[in-house]
Amino acid sequence: MFSKRKGVAVLATLAALGMTAAACGGDDGGGNDSGGGTQAKVLKLWHYESPDSAMAIAWNQAIREFQASHPGVTVKFEEKGFEQIQKTAPMVLNSKDAPDIMEYNKGNATAGLLSKQGLLTDLTPQVSKHGWDRVIPANVQTIAKYDARGVMGGDKWYGIPNYAEYLQVFYNKDTFEKNNIKVPATFEEFTAALDAFAGKGITPLANAGAEYMGQQYLYQLALSKADSTWVSNYERYTGKVDFHDPAWTYAATTFADWVKKGYIAKNSVSLKAEDAGQAFISGKFPMMFSGSWWFGRIAKEAKFDWGTFAWPGSQLTLGSGGNIWVVPQGSKNKDLAYEFIDATMRQGVQNTLANSGGVPVAANAATVSDPKAKELIQNYNALVQRNGLAYYPDWPVPGFYDTLVSQTQKLINGSASPDKVLSDLQKAYDSGLPK
Amino acid sequence: MKTRDRLAYLPYLAPGMVLFIGVIAIPFAMNIGISFTRWAGVGTPDWIGLGNYRELAEDSEFWASFRHQFALVFGMSLIPAAIGLVLASVLTEVIGKRFGPRTASVLRACIYLPQLLPIVVAGIVWSWIMAPEGGAANALLEAVGLDSLAHDWLGDPKTAMWSVMVVMVWFQIGFPLVIFMSGLQRVDPSLYEAAEIDGASWWRRFWHITLTQIRPEIFVVLLITAIYSLKSFPQIYVLTKGGPGGATNVPSYYSYQNFFEKTDVGYGASIATVLTLITIVLAAGFIRVQNKSLEEQ
Amino acid sequence: MTLLKAPAKQPAVRPRPGPARRRARRDPSSYVVLAALIVLAVMMLIPFVIVAFNALKTPQEYSSNGPLSVPDGLYLDGLKDFWTRVDYGQKLINSVLISGTVAIVGVFLSVLNAYALGIGKVRGRLWVLVLILMANLLPQESLVYPLYFLFKKAGLYDTRLSVIIVFIVIQSAFGTYLLSSVLAAFPRPLLEAARIDGANRWQILWRIVVPIARPTIIVLLVFYFIWTWNEFLIPLVMLVSNENQTVSVALGVLQGQRLMDATMSSASALLGIVPTLAFFLIFQRTLSRGITVGAIK
Repeated sequence: MFSKRKGVAVLATLAALGMTAAACGGDDGGGNDSGGGTQAKVLKLWHYESPDSAMAIAWNQAIREFQASHPGVTVKFEEKGFEQIQKTAPMVLNSKDAPDIMEYNKGNATAGLLSKQGLLTDLTPQVSKHGWDRVIPANVQTIAKYDARGVMGGDKWYGIPNYAEYLQVFYNKDTFEKNNIKVPATFEEFTAALDAFAGKGITPLANAGAEYMGQQYLYQLALSKADSTWVSNYERYTGKVDFHDPAWTYAATTFADWVKKGYIAKNSVSLKAEDAGQAFISGKFPMMFSGSWWFGRIAKEAKFDWGTFAWPGSQLTLGSGGNIWVVPQGSKNKDLAYEFIDATMRQGVQNTLANSGGVPVAANAATVSDPKAKELIQNYNALVQRNGLAYYPDWPVPGFYDTLVSQTQKLINGSASPDKVLSDLQKAYDSGLPK
Repeated sequence: MKTRDRLAYLPYLAPGMVLFIGVIAIPFAMNIGISFTRWAGVGTPDWIGLGNYRELAEDSEFWASFRHQFALVFGMSLIPAAIGLVLASVLTEVIGKRFGPRTASVLRACIYLPQLLPIVVAGIVWSWIMAPEGGAANALLEAVGLDSLAHDWLGDPKTAMWSVMVVMVWFQIGFPLVIFMSGLQRVDPSLYEAAEIDGASWWRRFWHITLTQIRPEIFVVLLITAIYSLKSFPQIYVLTKGGPGGATNVPSYYSYQNFFEKTDVGYGASIATVLTLITIVLAAGFIRVQNKSLEEQ
Repeated sequence: MTLLKAPAKQPAVRPRPGPARRRARRDPSSYVVLAALIVLAVMMLIPFVIVAFNALKTPQEYSSNGPLSVPDGLYLDGLKDFWTRVDYGQKLINSVLISGTVAIVGVFLSVLNAYALGIGKVRGRLWVLVLILMANLLPQESLVYPLYFLFKKAGLYDTRLSVIIVFIVIQSAFGTYLLSSVLAAFPRPLLEAARIDGANRWQILWRIVVPIARPTIIVLLVFYFIWTWNEFLIPLVMLVSNENQTVSVALGVLQGQRLMDATMSSASALLGIVPTLAFFLIFQRTLSRGITVGAIK
């Protein structure tokens, strides 16, 4: 009995200790609260790019340079998770624990919503002061500026994009050569190549139906029959959106047709983007239509010769500015935050971004050494010049991503006709519009 | 027992009740309050009265997804409880007695292990196993010459829900197993010995001793796992994201999606309220039956 | 009383066989059962093997050979990178602190609640129980916003204590239910005997009730620890600073990114389950060393 009672006592003590230890919470590195006069200042910085990504490499350089040019300032960086920021940003920014500067998701449901609620600092004066508007192409600016309703493409800057992203076709040169198939330059050649591969029993396009890839094929097909007014209507509610218009009808029927013809595998329904990417890198598919975010990974891991080309026969393609720097309203060091943003826009940091396989907003192809990275930047510059970035299909309506996944899956496994799919998309789109 | 006697036990309930009010009751009341508003999780909520509930009543997809919920109750509650019961009995009665308790506990540990794996990771691994090309499940079928059975398990709407159920059973059996085995330790071994001497078969002993003796545990496991299945959005989300084409959609998906993806917190709160109320009614009915059945003994 | 109702012939007060009780015969059929269980156990473990494989692969190996291939050699950089990247040591301390405290206090709370409900049979216990169970059946996402608001008011936002308090309540609901069901069937004569001996309620709880319910209590301890360890949503929301975060939130850092790093995810999963596995295995010994009702005389 005695020993048992001792056991209980030990447990009780442990629990009490646990509670007290936990109550203290994390030590916050001390007094950056009052930000007091001569004391060393701390710039609390959050971002969620993985350490070996082009962004993180470039931003690390920016942190070093910033600290060198600001003696007495320490940058306290915390790596966050995408999901964490996605779910908790409104709560964190509404508390005293907000960072001084952070990376945040672009879009109406994220940065737009928080700007509307007054949780983000209006950066417009800083933009003209530092000349960021001259560096960032107009096509990329859209995601940084929001109007009073929190809809992007507005008049006030609430974020500064540091990099950009866009989609293109990654292709396996070896497979093309081995099968004697010409790398396509026009849409006719593209479908001819698809047909030739399918004829040899090779599924030409890697796809992932359970994630973003499927809907991006669909949207790209629609874009190839659309113009910038169409995009603006769809993304910025500037006009009526009809999913039974020629562009969407063409996209849905063509997509379903391609699955039937074997250009896109029927069993890609349940695959995730990672599965498709992995399959492409291991050489199973000759082509994959996806974002520049794959660039670094493919460059590092693919064991074959590869290249990229823009979706043939389309003026528009998916892409946009990347995530943005925002300065929370509760930031205690706004001036330092602005200066840090400026540091990431400098040519040196932007070049590092480019050389690490990223797409910097202020790209200068001349300074990039790697030929493939150079091509990546040149393609981006060409897109920006013709205003070709058409954003993503899931942006206009919160939760539309899942609807698109689900409807695209129906197209792939043939459980709904293109017409029905488009009607359902219309319904979800209309009911999700800002009220 | 006299009333005065019963009152004397109230102090034991006090700490639990105080914490419960602070952490559950008040937040739930706030949640109900939020459900009468349109709110994006930040700023001032707009009062819209019963608007969310009216919308929910007409949300056909929400109510249709309840059908999948029944499948999940099987996959996460009934089947694991049944398998767990048989396993617990076999491990205690056969393995424990004939090969020693150590063998039994090693086996129990192996079967319990899936409960340790974070669900996100479990989801990724299972989607590798069930992948249509190069997946372990299909490779295994091909290796034993059953190529014709190879299948896109999670991609075909006809098999997706079944595949999810297999994963759920795998994930879930350990929980009833451990509880039932601990319950069986309360049972007086002499009951079994007497029955054995009387020549009762394993099945008879299982039916008449095991089942009756750990009836409290069986009730608890059934109710708790059924509740878990109502909250199983994360599992579904990592495996199929409700797909293909909504074939594995469940009600809790709606709540979650509205809270965090559409940031339509008011609507999410109304779904959560409805789900909670339905569950409370079912749970109360279940516990009433349980009390009756236990009192009969 | 439960024990007397068993259908098998009631054993007369027979001398209890000592610990050196004979092991039952191993007939061929018991080997068949053992073999079947071993096969089952191995099947349950396959996903873990896959996780371990991928944790030990280089990203290049994973990309070219796929997730199911056997690693060429031991590549430990994934484990090391993850450890330093998220400051895993600190996360480990946080998780142990949070889960450990929740387990101990949660069990204590469950015992108190269950004593009042199961043995004390306080008036309206059905509804008290259903209320307490609400902690379990409320979708967690509906608690997020209210709890955030309350803890911010109380100055506990971004402290580990906030998470501990929440999970003490949520987890103890299950234990309250399980224990009060088990205790409702508690042999009354034992309590009466103790009372006649002059023990008060507090003493009866600790000297009679707790020792008898010990197998169940240990199961609860294990479950609370593991469940709290794997909790994701509420720690994610409440623990903002990296130095307060838990292991499962750290695993989440790798999820939801557009590029999933499969090898590092596996490495993190492996690191994430080792502590809970160790915890389970340590308590596994106590789990099987239960005391039977009859042993207390």
